[in-house]
Amino acid sequence: MQRANLYHDKRAQWAAYLVFFAALAVIPLIMDDPYTMNQYARYGVFGILALSVSLLWGYGGILSLGQGIAFGMAAYGMGATMQMQYQDPVNDPMPSFMLTNELEALPVVWEPFWHTHWGVLLAIGIPVLFFIIFGVLMFQARLAGAFVAIMTLAMLGAWYSMAYDMQPYTAGFNGISPPNAFVAFGVEVDPYSNLIYWVSLGVLGFLTLSIKALLQTKFGTVIQAIRDDPERARFLGYNVAYYQTVLFALAGLVAAFAGVVWVMISQYVSPTELDIFFSISIVIWAAVGGRMSLFGAIFGAMFIKAAETNLGDDFQATWFVILGVVFIVVVRFLPKGIAGLFEIAIGFIPYRLKSSSRSDVNSTSAGD
Amino acid sequence: MSVILELTDVSKAYDQFKVVDSFNFKVNQGELRCLLGPNGAGKTTTIDLITGRQKATSGKIMFNGREITGLREDRIAKRGVGRKFQVPAVFKELTVRDNLRVAFSNNTDPFANMLRFSRKEGRERLDQVVELAGLQDRLDELGGNLSHGETQWLEIGMVLTQSPKLLLMDEPTAGMTEQETQKTSEIFNRLKGQHTLIVVEHDMAFVREIADVITLMHMGKTLAEGPMEVVENDPKVKEVYLGSEGITDAA
Repeated sequence: MQRANLYHDKRAQWAAYLVFFAALAVIPLIMDDPYTMNQYARYGVFGILALSVSLLWGYGGILSLGQGIAFGMAAYGMGATMQMQYQDPVNDPMPSFMLTNELEALPVVWEPFWHTHWGVLLAIGIPVLFFIIFGVLMFQARLAGAFVAIMTLAMLGAWYSMAYDMQPYTAGFNGISPPNAFVAFGVEVDPYSNLIYWVSLGVLGFLTLSIKALLQTKFGTVIQAIRDDPERARFLGYNVAYYQTVLFALAGLVAAFAGVVWVMISQYVSPTELDIFFSISIVIWAAVGGRMSLFGAIFGAMFIKAAETNLGDDFQATWFVILGVVFIVVVRFLPKGIAGLFEIAIGFIPYRLKSSSRSDVNSTSAGD
Repeated sequence: MSVILELTDVSKAYDQFKVVDSFNFKVNQGELRCLLGPNGAGKTTTIDLITGRQKATSGKIMFNGREITGLREDRIAKRGVGRKFQVPAVFKELTVRDNLRVAFSNNTDPFANMLRFSRKEGRERLDQVVELAGLQDRLDELGGNLSHGETQWLEIGMVLTQSPKLLLMDEPTAGMTEQETQKTSEIFNRLKGQHTLIVVEHDMAFVREIADVITLMHMGKTLAEGPMEVVENDPKVKEVYLGSEGITDAA
């Protein structure tokens, strides 16, 4: 374990986040290439997903292999919302895939998606509600570690099968591809535009800074305490299951945001969003980048996905072997990932903790 | 003096075997009670039953005039029972300061705690505890970097920060050097009177240093109770420790 250095300075951390997001925000002004902006917007979504894993696993000690559940549910909600923006209540009330599946009328579960605001609200709210229920079931029973990982993985598999099998409602394997871009408040969010990039980056930035702030609160300290020793926390009077459920739901909320933005970018949703390999990949991104650092996890996601885009074609299936090897090396030798390397490197910069007065409770130096 | 903790006919059985067997136990407000006994006497199990880590098979546990039998750990903790573990448990990845901040648990609701940024709350309490535990210079150190003795003091400090009405200490001097044990007994003597304490301990020198009243457990029952001299000379006690030199060898 390391001594505190500049890496642990809260002000330096906030400054680094602001510089990072400010730098990313000006990219479209330099590039101005719609295809690239669409690609980069996707990286933003991967960043949001890694963020949710960092919060839940890195800070809360809960390894979920099922973040794709919230991501996929939200993606279907958003897909339905965008599809219904295209449908006409009088002349063309049903998406074409329902007609080919011989449905007589629009299913009741699809009705709320006529209204864009309800649609988006449900796309985010339902996964969160599901995570609350699922979390209560797991954490009241004091499940932890590998058991949570297996439960979430199994649940993800169940949702994948449902999305796949309930063809009349979800378009099954083919997926839903809304014909038009998402329109909100009269503005069309063109998936090939600078706007989509800023939407994605804006959501990522907002969530990152919110979580960063959340981790500064007592809640943030308590979830890290629970990660280190749940029993100790319990005997200090904390309802551990309650905290874990709230945290699990928050991580679900973050992943749900990713799902909503994803469909705005891709204009397509299919069971691949609920694919098991995809959810495991998110964990790998966070681990490689550094799960104990929000920044690290986001960077890991973007770095690996960029490498995959640029090198994946050359290596094809071998790419996954490379990814696997990298994961093993990181887990074995770099438990804090790339961020951990950075933490060591930055330790060479001379730094003095500013509070030396003995009882100064105001300063702090918990790990990022 | 008013009774703060009362165990009536409390039993804990695994299959047929009773680890704690119709145990009766009373502790007064402000008392420092030592719980002694050979290995397997049921001391730690008794602590587990009081703090809710294990559920009693039968019997009743009253604390501060209310029944706490079978309540969940965090509920019992909120009623004012603090506990130090046998194997010292602190939050290893948090600083000493944050360990103590978490222990300052006057409000444990997650949503209320999302709005609490202030690191000033509980500052007075923290200063007192830090001074008592002698951790002034270690506040920014990670819990996992502390020496064994310091870890024990930090955990004692955390339990004190909780401001519990009753403190249960399971082997607070285990693995400590002589000097560290000496410092710990100083801490305990300062706590005496202000807090009600139950200390499970093997180190007889330490017990002599701090104890008012001793309860000696054997096979899940009380074998003897009273001041050190009385318990030491009890013929039943001598019988249990037959062949040894009395309870001094209990460890």
